[in-house]
Amino acid sequence: MAYKYTLEILAGIAIIAFCALFLYTSATMSGAEFAGSDNVGSGLVAELSGIPLENFQPLIPQWEPPSGEIESALFALQAAVGGILVGGVFGFWMGQKKRT
Amino acid sequence: MHIMEGFLPWQWCLVWWIIALPCLMLGIYQLKKVLASDREALPLLGVTGGFIFVLSSLKLPSVTGSCSHPTGTGLSTISFGPWITAVVCAIVLLFQSLFLAHGGLSVLGANIVSMGIVGPLVGYGIYRLLRDTSVNIYITVFLVCAIADLFTYVMTSLELALAYPAETGGVVSSFILFMAIFAITQIPLAIVEGVVLALVFKYIVALKPDILIRLKIFSENQINAARADT
Repeated sequence: MAYKYTLEILAGIAIIAFCALFLYTSATMSGAEFAGSDNVGSGLVAELSGIPLENFQPLIPQWEPPSGEIESALFALQAAVGGILVGGVFGFWMGQKKRT
Repeated sequence: MHIMEGFLPWQWCLVWWIIALPCLMLGIYQLKKVLASDREALPLLGVTGGFIFVLSSLKLPSVTGSCSHPTGTGLSTISFGPWITAVVCAIVLLFQSLFLAHGGLSVLGANIVSMGIVGPLVGYGIYRLLRDTSVNIYITVFLVCAIADLFTYVMTSLELALAYPAETGGVVSSFILFMAIFAITQIPLAIVEGVVLALVFKYIVALKPDILIRLKIFSENQINAARADT
């Protein structure tokens, strides 16, 4: 029983350390834009290949979210679907456990 | 870890698609089999797949001054193996290609290989290695989740390095450059993901130990020992 909440405490520490790391980085690192690493990677591709970034055109035409707002809405939708799955199943299991 | 649409030459897109497709077909076959044999497997698939949906939508800042997202594939890898995980990842990545302009249809194969196949496959190797040892099951889960996450990004770096070797030093030196962007950013995220998913696994063990034993994910003794501890 001594280890009852060890994992919860470790998870708490990990999350707090992660936030502290972010605050430290954003305060001390100059030029930290916190852009997506996908975009930083694409920038490196342009640099290595010597082809300007804007010359990379989709091979298959692609719909792009018209703004950051719409993009964040769709990302939130994705997370919500996942959250419903997780919460729903845990609830189902708890109900099952109670009945037996 | 998304390679953006248009950023891989079509030859490489084809190569990764050819690798991804048989894995997906194997995954769909295994998925049908496991769902037909055990009805209780579906909720477990829901939880482990749900975490892939949630975690891969969270873009978190990291030490390199850029943002990246966890993959969440570890739990599904432990529960169902890498091939079924690849199928779930393919669904998420297809959604992101179609509606979010993250990745794209031509590079989908490459992204499935990194997030759905190579990352989970390395994680699964760790799981098989540690499963029958006396290592605490939560440490196993932590390592599998963190390493599956990290190797997804190592693979993305390799995919890009193969397509874009540097003029001096070739594939190796451009691999190092891409690793500096993707893998270094990912290290803190992978650690947090590992700890959080180990905690989630504790709740699965508490609520539904029988399914874990029946699917032979961990032995009865290991599950009972873990329950006695907490």
